Amino acid sequence: MSFLNPIFLLGLAALAAPVLVHLVRRTRARRVEFPTLMFVRQVPQRTIRRKKLHNLLLLLLRCLALLLVVLAFTRPFFSGSSAAETSKLERATVILLDASFSMRHAARFDDARRRADALVSEARDGEQIALISFDHGYTIDSRFTADQGKLRAALSAVKAGWGGTDYEQALRAAETLFREVNAGGMKRILMISDFQATGWNTADAPYRLGGDLQLALIEVGEVASPNLAVTEVNARALIFTQKYTDKLSARVANFSDDARARVAIDFSINDQTIEKREISIDARGTTTVEFAGFNVGEGINRGVIAVSGGNNDGGDFDPDNRFHFTLRRQPPSKALIVESASRGGGQSFYLRSALTTGENLPFVWTIKTSGQIDPDEIDECRLIILNDAGALSNTLAEKLRRHVEVGRALVIAAGRLTDATDFNRQLAGVAPATLGEPVQAGRGEEILISEVKTDHPVFEIFRGNGRLAAARFTGYHRSQPVPNSSVIARFEDGSPALIEATAGTKGKVLLFTSTLDASWTDLPLTSLYLPFVQQIVRYVGERETVSYQTIGQSFTAPVSADGTPPAVDTPGGTRLHERTLTHTGELIVTASEPGFYRLRYPEQPTFIAANLEGKESDFAKLNLGEFSSAVTAAGGAPVTGAVEDAKLQNEEIEARQRIWWPLLIVAAMLFVAEGLIARRTKMAKMIG
Amino acid sequence: MWWRRSKAERRDNDDAGASIKAPVSPSAGAPRFLAPDVLAGISSLELLARTVVEGFIAGLHRSPFTGFSTEFAEYRQYQPGDDLRYLDWRLYGRTDRYFIKKYRADTNTQCHVLIDTSASMRYGTGVVSKLQYAQFLAAAMAHLVARQQDSIGLIAFDEQMRVHIPAHNRTGHMRTIYGHLERLEPGGETRLAKMLHDTAERLTRRGILILISDMYDDPEEIFPALRHLRFRGNDVIVFHVLDRNEIDFNFVDQMVLLEDSETAEQMPVLPEVFADGYRAKINNHLTALRELAAANHVDYELITTDQPLDRALFAFLSRRTRK
Repeated sequence: MSFLNPIFLLGLAALAAPVLVHLVRRTRARRVEFPTLMFVRQVPQRTIRRKKLHNLLLLLLRCLALLLVVLAFTRPFFSGSSAAETSKLERATVILLDASFSMRHAARFDDARRRADALVSEARDGEQIALISFDHGYTIDSRFTADQGKLRAALSAVKAGWGGTDYEQALRAAETLFREVNAGGMKRILMISDFQATGWNTADAPYRLGGDLQLALIEVGEVASPNLAVTEVNARALIFTQKYTDKLSARVANFSDDARARVAIDFSINDQTIEKREISIDARGTTTVEFAGFNVGEGINRGVIAVSGGNNDGGDFDPDNRFHFTLRRQPPSKALIVESASRGGGQSFYLRSALTTGENLPFVWTIKTSGQIDPDEIDECRLIILNDAGALSNTLAEKLRRHVEVGRALVIAAGRLTDATDFNRQLAGVAPATLGEPVQAGRGEEILISEVKTDHPVFEIFRGNGRLAAARFTGYHRSQPVPNSSVIARFEDGSPALIEATAGTKGKVLLFTSTLDASWTDLPLTSLYLPFVQQIVRYVGERETVSYQTIGQSFTAPVSADGTPPAVDTPGGTRLHERTLTHTGELIVTASEPGFYRLRYPEQPTFIAANLEGKESDFAKLNLGEFSSAVTAAGGAPVTGAVEDAKLQNEEIEARQRIWWPLLIVAAMLFVAEGLIARRTKMAKMIG
Repeated sequence: MWWRRSKAERRDNDDAGASIKAPVSPSAGAPRFLAPDVLAGISSLELLARTVVEGFIAGLHRSPFTGFSTEFAEYRQYQPGDDLRYLDWRLYGRTDRYFIKKYRADTNTQCHVLIDTSASMRYGTGVVSKLQYAQFLAAAMAHLVARQQDSIGLIAFDEQMRVHIPAHNRTGHMRTIYGHLERLEPGGETRLAKMLHDTAERLTRRGILILISDMYDDPEEIFPALRHLRFRGNDVIVFHVLDRNEIDFNFVDQMVLLEDSETAEQMPVLPEVFADGYRAKINNHLTALRELAAANHVDYELITTDQPLDRALFAFLSRRTRK
């Protein structure tokens, strides 16, 4: 064993100090008046005398602790771990190669590949190297091998993709891969990237590499790369009228330190220009551009917002200048409100008024009493509302059961005309709850809705304002939710108010245990009613639709009329041959390049839009020092350019000298033990 | 300005009470104006008693004990834990809601507060000493009893009887009680058993006896004396008042020299070494008191001087309800 700082051995003279410590400090007892000593006298006095063993133990502890402190300062190390020997140890390396979309900029990816190739060439004899390319995910292109030819072949096959960047994911992948190799010496990760700031989420708890891993960061790409991009489009994916009445908004971002003027925005549908605009954007700013009142053709429509021009054309990056989305126009679906004949009409007045107010309505409503319905009518309706409809015929009940089982929607409002026994018999297996007896509030009393799942789509617009509590109820049905149902609102006594269940594969059923007219509640008289019922209808009746996917997201292509999934062409025009199917036979496609995926159905093709991750367009650089400190156990420093072997070897030697650290910890523990024992011994002395 | 603060706090408590559905137990959510440190700032014992009792009764609106007050007979919604005997079934028939019906309790009892003023009652590590706490408690009890038109008397003692005010409910009697309570000073040794025997002989008419003491006497001697009082037809309620440190034996010093308040005897003690043994002994004493009280049909309540007074008032009221 040798010492780095033998001068500190002089500190052994401090071992004389413990002797002095034993000689001093006596405390005087404080006089305290106490009510009675009758119990104090009963406790046997524990007189501790001549605890020489304690004293000896104390002396030993103090001397040993001091000895360890002195040793720690001398930085001992074992001579066997010299730098020369270290260099002979095995070394394993994982090269992490950034293949995200930003690496397509200029010659970044070629540069990165050249750096990786150079690192492979510089490998020691027998050094195990693995290659991982990453964007928001990762691909292991080559597992650990010492075969440089194999590594170069893997390297040449890697291409820059269209995904965003996630450095943490890449580091995790590398750390996991090291489990496959038994490197007694050094384990190092060489990350080659343009180091975009957006690839590291500082809001998350920082991920830290294991202490035995070395990290070197090799940066490619210019320091500042101005860029202009369309980062987001908000569009209603499904519309029911020819005119697009909502606002379609696009966000255009300027990721550069200079303002941009005369930036041209081009909005087109199915390759036909709809509107052109010219805007200015501040440095590092965003601008929202809105379009409205344009016409949309029947069926699926391909929309594109493109940005171009500006007074700083140099260096702009084209792939993120176009944002793709789809607008599907279809006729409104048929829907039915079923009410009771005994009320003589008017029962659904509020409901109809709320559901037929507004534009772009997804349903055309018909109101009938339960006796008027032709059961075959049910098959044509996408959504049915039983508005306190009273007793149903068995045929109608059976039709309703099939209606939800094939994936359509049913909303039930149970009022005083709904008999619990009939309800439970006829709608067993369909309704989300069994109904109990009706509860009526006393005279002058009201019941409120006190508990609402505000994260549920029906209530998300009421989130944060608690306004739903303003509705007052005078009656409701008690109910017992069936298994697999979910209560999304409750009255103040805990009884369910709104219960949801799924029937069949996709059919949704909602049960409201009070009325949707004014007989048991003043809800229809409040401003809450219209959004409440419209939200219910949209939630149960509309299929989930989005106007675009982001690279990396998966979408499903439903089966065609002949029961087979469609052929899919990528935006680049190549046919997808990977066929991953869901249990219902739908094709799962992962968006991997921007543009429109064409789904070739025999009757009519359809399109799915895919776009780049908006934040990836920001080429601002990561602070490498900060990043390296955050993810490495010892807080390493960035290494730019070639990695220096010598530096890593020194770090290894340093690791071998870390014996001083446990020595200090043991010394600290000994001091604590000494303190405790000394205290007890001193008190015993005072008593003695 | 204590009364302003009290009113404000009372209002706060009432507001809070409106949204609380569960009944409030004496130990949880106690009204802050009953806390000893607040009461210590009130100079007049009469004022203090009124503050405590009126505030306490106002606080009872949301407690399961509401029905036992003569002043606050009313209906309120049933809450889990309420006695089903008080459920109003007619109202349930009309409204489909459960309501608890409270009825008036009619009392005309003679009540004596026995307060221990021995030197050991001087002890206190908090804001108030045991004797001060006992004075607060006695004053509040007296006010509560007088408020119900019952007669109230006072006996204060150490090794001999220092004060004896016979029970009355006439006008001005409460002033006498408060006046004597305010002037009590700790001193003398404890002769609890002897004094209880004396009291049993002295009181000719049966009634309620409220004993407030630190009970530093042999339980085997105390309880024959309490049995004596019971034999004479009295209901006995014991409020065993202790300072928290008498139970916890918690000293920051490594070593202390304990001096007996009554005998001036001194003893050096290492609290850290000694505390466990002491706690075991005093817990044995408390257990013995509790068991003997139960065996002798004496209501026993251990209270520490850091606890709000409402716990004692609850104990007293629940006792009165059962009678």
